Amino acid sequence: MSEPSAVRTPSVSPPLRAPALTEIFRALLEADFTVQLRNNRALLLSFALPLVLLYALFASFAVKRGIIVGDPQFKVAAALTLGMASIAILGYAMTVARDREKGIFQRLRVTPAPTWTIMTSRLLVQVAANLAMALVLLVAADLFEGVSLIAEAYLLTFIGVIFSSALFLSVGQALAGLVKSADTLSAVGRIAYLPLFALGLFGQSTIFGTTFELISRWSPGGTVETLLSGAMNPSSWNSDTWLALAVSTAYSVVFAGIGIRWFQWGAR
Amino acid sequence: MTGLALQVKDLRVSYGPKRAVDGVSIDINEGEIFGLLGPNGAGKTSTLSAIEGLLKPTSGSILIRQVDVRAHPGLAHALIGVQLQSTSFQSELKISEIVKLYAGLYGVPLTKPAIFDRLTEIHLGDEASRRFSQLSGGQQKRLSLLIATVHDPPLVLLDEPTSGLDPQARRQLWDRIEGIRKSGRSILLTTHSMEEAQSVCDRVAIMDYGKILTVDTPAGLIEKHKNDPNVLAVARGQVTLEDVFIGLTGRELRE
Repeated sequence: MSEPSAVRTPSVSPPLRAPALTEIFRALLEADFTVQLRNNRALLLSFALPLVLLYALFASFAVKRGIIVGDPQFKVAAALTLGMASIAILGYAMTVARDREKGIFQRLRVTPAPTWTIMTSRLLVQVAANLAMALVLLVAADLFEGVSLIAEAYLLTFIGVIFSSALFLSVGQALAGLVKSADTLSAVGRIAYLPLFALGLFGQSTIFGTTFELISRWSPGGTVETLLSGAMNPSSWNSDTWLALAVSTAYSVVFAGIGIRWFQWGAR
Repeated sequence: MTGLALQVKDLRVSYGPKRAVDGVSIDINEGEIFGLLGPNGAGKTSTLSAIEGLLKPTSGSILIRQVDVRAHPGLAHALIGVQLQSTSFQSELKISEIVKLYAGLYGVPLTKPAIFDRLTEIHLGDEASRRFSQLSGGQQKRLSLLIATVHDPPLVLLDEPTSGLDPQARRQLWDRIEGIRKSGRSILLTTHSMEEAQSVCDRVAIMDYGKILTVDTPAGLIEKHKNDPNVLAVARGQVTLEDVFIGLTGRELRE
């Protein structure tokens, strides 16, 4: 094996300026999008899981037995909610914890990139993943289940997806802030699924009583489902939908606050 | 006239009640390779981490080419290149994409051919499409050093750059470190290898319990401490840098 060549003589023009934020964001976003597209687990969580739930919710056995009730928009909203919860809690939070353990964040932090740009880039990629998932799901709902929306409803739904993404991603951020170990976070994330997502599925059902229905309706998952089903049917947008928008924003602020306050960049 | 690449004055870093760095002051000249030696837990990595901005010092000042690290972190980071003790990158990225990412973070736009050229210079041109985890230890260290210097920084910080490398890979890395110095850059490195310190460093500081015990050229340190009773007690024949190191820091094991 030949020896490495002589050392390249660097140009004698050291950078005497901090790079512009646009340069930093361009580099981070390009890398984060590439990572997202090459991550099979993320793709599975983003697309396969919500499509399976969509099929299950519209399947005849679920309808006949009254396991899940609600109008078609609510069922699509439930599938969308599952997708966003999966991306944020099982995808985003896990990746953050894993990268922290590997020291990837520490390597990025010794560059001129401000710490907030590192996390913002990742969050923007996750929001984009949520929007892509929503597009695929809405197309599938239209093609296979006949749930078609008017143009205004599609626009409102995508805006709702952005708000809902903020909620679930802030939950993911809070979990990654509170739980340092990736292994522990994996277990905690699965448990957190119940109150965060599954509880919301019963937001329009009183089979467990009205108190349970009230709790499930205003759980993070239930709030998002109310918001999205309202967005998909603008004519039924009412005070509950407005309240769901306000509650989802409040959840985002609280969980993001926890995530920022307790987040640690290093694993030690 | 040469200026100072790095000025650290009375640096203190604490982890809760434990003081990891206790009043460290270092000046590094332009074009100088400066070695920081010390047993495990001496405060070497904490000192480096404070300079890199990973740790907030309790007190003291750090100037890189007269730029205050705490007042202007973005500019200060643009003036340094860093190789951490253990480096990892996103496993989904190819090494050419890793180089592109880090060049971009310093505002250095690199075309695909330019990235390939840089990888070829460190004999990784054929590995451009591989992942970091697929590289050998020596290849990973070479790539880490390339990324640390991708923006031609005036000061390069290397935390145990050759640990875990075989003699051939270590010599190759020394050549590259020497090449960086020849181009006028300054280097601050930590190491456990006395051989490395003697071969590569212009000056060496020995630190322990968060304090700098002594600073000089490797030969100067031997000359200065060759009659120290603690050094003579551990010397086996002619006094070496390792004898000075053990004489000053003690023989007990550190965790």
